[in-house]
Amino acid sequence: MNECRQSERLGAYHDGELSGAARAEMERHLGQCPACAAELERLGRLSELLVAAAAPKLSLAAKQRLHNGIDTIPMADLRRVAEICGAIAASILLVCTIWLVVKTRATTDAIPVWETVAVAQQEPATAPEEQLAQWMVQDLSGKSAHD
Amino acid sequence: MASGSGHLEITDLELINRARRGDSAAFHDLLDRHASYLFGVAVSLMGNVADAEDAVQETLLGAFRGMRGFEGRSSVKTWLTSILIHQTAMRHRSAGRRPATSLESVAEVAGGPSASSSTEATDTRIDLMAAIQELSPDHREVVVLRELNGLSYDEIAEALDVPRGTVESRLFRARRQLQERLHEYLV
Repeated sequence: MNECRQSERLGAYHDGELSGAARAEMERHLGQCPACAAELERLGRLSELLVAAAAPKLSLAAKQRLHNGIDTIPMADLRRVAEICGAIAASILLVCTIWLVVKTRATTDAIPVWETVAVAQQEPATAPEEQLAQWMVQDLSGKSAHD
Repeated sequence: MASGSGHLEITDLELINRARRGDSAAFHDLLDRHASYLFGVAVSLMGNVADAEDAVQETLLGAFRGMRGFEGRSSVKTWLTSILIHQTAMRHRSAGRRPATSLESVAEVAGGPSASSSTEATDTRIDLMAAIQELSPDHREVVVLRELNGLSYDEIAEALDVPRGTVESRLFRARRQLQERLHEYLV
């Protein structure tokens, strides 16, 4: 194998990709380096050989399938948009459902109005302690009259 | 380039612009111009016709959907090549292995003997295709684009989104490997 450091640029020279100055330098080198000259020749034969590796032609049927595939793009895109809209709608529905559940639980923690009213109606008009106090006053008033 | 009718040939860029404005026939014209080239590159990269057709289909779909983002900094051909390279690379990664290098798939790509080719020529093509498939994906790409399709280093660099120097070094190593693999044909 060619160990010359200049050999790394042989491919670019072979492909016509070296600039003017670099190309001139390589041509001078090729005149002095048999290893690079031999490798350049092999690169040429390799390129000629690889031409035979050209891929098979695209058949008419295959080309028609490609055309048909292009024609189906609008419908495929519409389906994709529909799927995205459906996913968004489902997400909104889920969020609203969760919000309603959370809101409902929060309101059940408060005392309902009907219960507040019912408790208020059960309280007596006069507290027993107050009535007892009235009796004591009346009784004491009676004893003081005798003294 | 003027045709016999005296009308100037419509450029690829004009076809893209028309397609952007909703002219689907313009995109079909682009397909007619570049499908065979894309298929050839894809077959050489994928190693079998079926995967190559799928890759080209996905490339054209991607180009159709993404043509609004095409800024014209490269040629349309280079742009399509870039999309194709991306597609084949994705397929390679998802497959987790090199493309099919079975004798059957390579022989399918190489084709059989025909009226214009002998059995020996067919065997040579099979060996060549097998040698190309044995290259790493990076090396295979530069060899296919340069040796089989004649793209310039700048075009290859644009399509692969790598520096020009990387193209040159990859080609150097790929060619060394091919020389070793195919030395019997090069003496």
